[in-house]
Amino acid sequence: MKKLLLSLVLLIGFVSVLSGCGDGNALVIWVGSESVDFYQEKMDDYVANYNLAHEEKFPYKVKVKGVDTGTAAATFLDDTDAGADIFTVAHDNLGKLITGASAIAPVTDPLLLAQIEADNPDAFLDVIKGQVGGVTYTFGVPYIAQSLVLYYNKDYITQTQVQTWEGILEAAVAANKQALSLAGADGFNNSFLLLAMNADTKATSLRLYANGVQEDCYATGDDLIAIFKWGQRFFTHPNGGKAPTDSGWEIELKNEVSLSVISGSWDFSAAQAALGTKLAVASLPTFTLTAEDAYGTATEGTVMQSGSFTDTKMFVMKKNSAKADYLQGILLYLSSKEIQEESFEQCANLPAYKNAVEEFEAFGAVDTLAGQLALAQVEMFSNGIPQPFGFASRYNTYYYSKGTPDMIMDVLRNKDGAFGTHAAIKAQFEIIEVIWKTGIRPTA
Amino acid sequence: MQENNNAQMKRGVPRFLLSLAKPFVNLGLGIAKRTKAFIGRFQDGGIGTKVSHLIMGFGNFYHKQIIKGLLYFLIQVGFLLLMILSPEVNGTPLGFKSIPNLITLGTEPGDIFTPTDNSMLMLLFGVVIFGIISIFLFAYFSNIKSAYKVDLDIRSGKRPSSFKEDLQDLLDGRFHIAMLTPAIIGIITFTVLPTLFMILIAFTNFDSAHPAGQVLFEWVGFKNFGDIFGGVGEISARFWSVLSWTLIWAFFATSTCYIGGIMLALLINKKTIKGKKLWRTIFVLTIALPQFISLLAVRNLLSEYGPLNSFLVNVGLLEQPIQFLANANDPWTARVTIIIINIWIGVPYTMLMTSGILMNVPQDLYEAAQIDGANKRQSFFHITVPYILFVTAPYLITSFIGNITSFNVIYLLTGGAPTVSGYTAGSTDLLVTWLYKLTIDQSEYNIGSVVAIMTFIITATATLLTYRRTKTYKEEDAFQ
Amino acid sequence: MMQTSTGAPVAKQFRSVKAMERTSSILSYIVIIALSLIWLYPIVWILLNSFRTEYNDQNQLVGIVVSHYFPKQIGFENFRRLFLQTEFPKWFLNTLFVSSISFIISTLLTLCVAYVMSKLRFSFRKKFLNLAIILGLFPGFMSMIAIYYILKALGLTQTLFALILVYSAGAGLGFYVAKGFFDIIPNSLIESARLDGATNARIFRSIILPISKPIIIYTALLAFTGPWMDFIFARVILGETNTHLHTVAVGLYYMRYGERVDSNNFTVFAAGCVCVAIPIVTLFLAMQKYYIEGVTAGSVKG
Repeated sequence: MKKLLLSLVLLIGFVSVLSGCGDGNALVIWVGSESVDFYQEKMDDYVANYNLAHEEKFPYKVKVKGVDTGTAAATFLDDTDAGADIFTVAHDNLGKLITGASAIAPVTDPLLLAQIEADNPDAFLDVIKGQVGGVTYTFGVPYIAQSLVLYYNKDYITQTQVQTWEGILEAAVAANKQALSLAGADGFNNSFLLLAMNADTKATSLRLYANGVQEDCYATGDDLIAIFKWGQRFFTHPNGGKAPTDSGWEIELKNEVSLSVISGSWDFSAAQAALGTKLAVASLPTFTLTAEDAYGTATEGTVMQSGSFTDTKMFVMKKNSAKADYLQGILLYLSSKEIQEESFEQCANLPAYKNAVEEFEAFGAVDTLAGQLALAQVEMFSNGIPQPFGFASRYNTYYYSKGTPDMIMDVLRNKDGAFGTHAAIKAQFEIIEVIWKTGIRPTA
Repeated sequence: MQENNNAQMKRGVPRFLLSLAKPFVNLGLGIAKRTKAFIGRFQDGGIGTKVSHLIMGFGNFYHKQIIKGLLYFLIQVGFLLLMILSPEVNGTPLGFKSIPNLITLGTEPGDIFTPTDNSMLMLLFGVVIFGIISIFLFAYFSNIKSAYKVDLDIRSGKRPSSFKEDLQDLLDGRFHIAMLTPAIIGIITFTVLPTLFMILIAFTNFDSAHPAGQVLFEWVGFKNFGDIFGGVGEISARFWSVLSWTLIWAFFATSTCYIGGIMLALLINKKTIKGKKLWRTIFVLTIALPQFISLLAVRNLLSEYGPLNSFLVNVGLLEQPIQFLANANDPWTARVTIIIINIWIGVPYTMLMTSGILMNVPQDLYEAAQIDGANKRQSFFHITVPYILFVTAPYLITSFIGNITSFNVIYLLTGGAPTVSGYTAGSTDLLVTWLYKLTIDQSEYNIGSVVAIMTFIITATATLLTYRRTKTYKEEDAFQ
Repeated sequence: MMQTSTGAPVAKQFRSVKAMERTSSILSYIVIIALSLIWLYPIVWILLNSFRTEYNDQNQLVGIVVSHYFPKQIGFENFRRLFLQTEFPKWFLNTLFVSSISFIISTLLTLCVAYVMSKLRFSFRKKFLNLAIILGLFPGFMSMIAIYYILKALGLTQTLFALILVYSAGAGLGFYVAKGFFDIIPNSLIESARLDGATNARIFRSIILPISKPIIIYTALLAFTGPWMDFIFARVILGETNTHLHTVAVGLYYMRYGERVDSNNFTVFAAGCVCVAIPIVTLFLAMQKYYIEGVTAGSVKG
């Protein structure tokens, strides 16, 4: 008897495993938390218009939720069923999402495909596509663009000084402060040096997964070694750049430990709170290689322009969603030029739309900080590249998570005095290259 | 006494090895015995018992134990239905199909419109189905035994027990069954099965390149374990240094809190100190406060431009702020800082415990000492201290094991920083925080699982070597 | 010798002993006050920050200030924001719901298992004891992912019941402290009751439970406060995106550690911490006596 009851209860416990879960019947959309209200409003309009235009009513309730882009991709990959029908990711997450048989659905609607092709800069068109089973599909629908800019304290740095790192350093020396804080030690935040290019020719020898080929990474060109020699001098200068600290850049800016920070629009409000009326925004400065930096073909006096990763935030759709029939219509609407313009005006989301500068009226407002930010971002677009990691998930991991960002910081800090020579820097970048290509750190 | 101890130690090692083999021997003997009993019952039992081997509950029906028989029968029907139908749960079948799936871990690679077989769910359901089969077998044998028991009862002229009587028995003779069943269900579902699942993951290539539901993963045998000893990648490069730091940390965290706690307890319990309750309450605050609050406060206080550094710089004690927790050039700054902060967290606990013990020191010991002419100092060093050490010795072991798997202090204070360029595991990462980063942040489940198993082996060794020697274990039965 | 001498040296000696005792007691006070200050320093910092309302020149609330310990302006703005602009009230109710139910279930489970293990003898007792020890040695969150998918198969992942289940299910293994307590209850008590014809269930209910108040309170206290402190399990099971389901620990955790956290939330976070800490700490201090008994019983038994 005892065993009977025991086993019965145990079995009931297990059989209840079978009871499936009933999903709510809402169509869920995830966007950045700052623009939830805006997109909910737009979706309410959409449903209302749909009901006017069609015989039958729109069959689902539409719920817009605020979820950060990185979180969205991670949550979605952990448990696809728990993910939204439409969600926002930065384009460099595409590789992860389409690994293997893909977790997201491709765009198939010809109208939407045509709109994507017509509205977006060429650079974006490459990175929203991916191959599954040997066939190339378009997966992402761009609607926001982002790049790195410089937030700085205008009490100390003049508008002329902010155009070059030398000028900023000069201001820092005069005030005995530090020239720059980094927002983080990751590969995104130190990309301003890695992606720097010749200011005149826009040339750089750096190659990151060029044309989607994993082996095609190159980080040991003369110009790059010279740039990092310059960067090392900048970061080891007592008033130069600061490696990220556990206090955070907001405090360093607020306490006037340092005078500027490189970050994106997502940190705009934090920068404002830290600096108040002292805040100004500029695109990333240039710098000039000195005799000390010159290496091989990168000669003294070459002017370099700091670079940036330029990202697009894009909508993607869950694979095998029960509501698949309705998703592409929604995306056609949400990524349209009109909605992008409104989103820029109301939520300061920089549009992905390629002719925004000419066509959007709000872009003319240079007197406001938000206007300055928009212009600085657009300017950085011509000095940046979209993250080239859309092609495969591994590239993204190899670039960010396998420790190469720390190895780059080691060079910049000249950790233990071990990277003082061009040769030592080059040796470090040879290791970094191998990690980018294979994901494995070569053993010495 | 001393010799005896040594002899015990010498015998200890082979006995330890023997004790490892014992479960297997016992298992073999147990199976033999049960098989014999099984055959014996079948031959000896009446018609009810014989049919019960095929149709569960028949023996009980036969002797008019209707409810009991029905319950057994329902178990059989439910089990067979589940196995044969193999219904899809979250897109993956759970039933007899789970058994081949456990071996193949999925065959359909999928494409842009076809779903991929979810290897992870297949592995999980494989484990679950074996759990269900074991429970079914348990019910099956209990059904035969129950039928046989009724046979025997009738043979000896007793009336078969009614359902009501069976229920009443649960409150008395079988009380432990009633009390343990809910707990056992919980433990099997949420501890045993998940643990088995994660152990099995260590033998697969389930990592960030094989996301479940997108790419199939497969069995790889002991490869991941081999990587610890001279393979490539993170685990071979970082395992030994993380392990040694874990042990160093556990040693210092345990000893500092232990000594500090005893000293604090002695201080508070001094006769001259008034307001004992107030002081104790102040120190208990660190236990009562959630650690994600208190440790975060500490982290902010110690940050490079935080209040402590600002104060020290303003007073002139420091020229430059110290990076207590994030000095990339010297991991020992962070390591020492963490151990010191851990004193703040851990000392109150030992203090409370020792305070309790101090009140319980047998007074006759002191009286006897006083008669012998011992002064306060002598009786303190010859009675109080040895007594505390003696009574709290077992605590040291549990505390050491607890510190090996201590997660919050490291995770909330440094997150493993300062980083070691090129790897996930930083200089202050313990095995557990590394395991957390590997699985939750990096999706390297197989490597994470290997780290978890190694952590288990270390804590288990420590426990086996010490627990079997403790008074509690030896006197477990003698005590009562 | 004593007789011949006057009282003076004795008195002097007495005075010096007294003086020594006084200096030693003053020293003790100095040490204990210094230690108390160290212990309170970070805790008071959080408390001060919850009231810190410093504004920048654009009249924006500056959330994180670390250069000075004491705030220059104080007010209730952080609490206002906490209750009006975040989902904190909801998180608080969620946590209260989860912990109220799970502490009852887990206390019951723990006591049942502990009593049975301590006082009853049956065939698989030793096996169960060993299994409990072995399972306890595996790092707990190693199996988190599997638990998530088991809960998902049960259709529970997007609910608070999942959390209740996980917190309660673990209780069956945490019986050691309570078992240590039951071990010291004399067997004669039980045997005499049994001679009077009481069943095991009756003995447990009418004899054991009434004298087990300290251990019941200790177990319940830990079970109740657990959900208020756990930010790991709850985070995985509830999912980052379901903010309306979060417990206070998860909600506050994301306020501080989520992706691209606004550091200006720090004072609001501190206000949240204070709101969580007040009930928990009060509970702890009120139950301190029992807590100490539990700690002593549990650790000494080993």
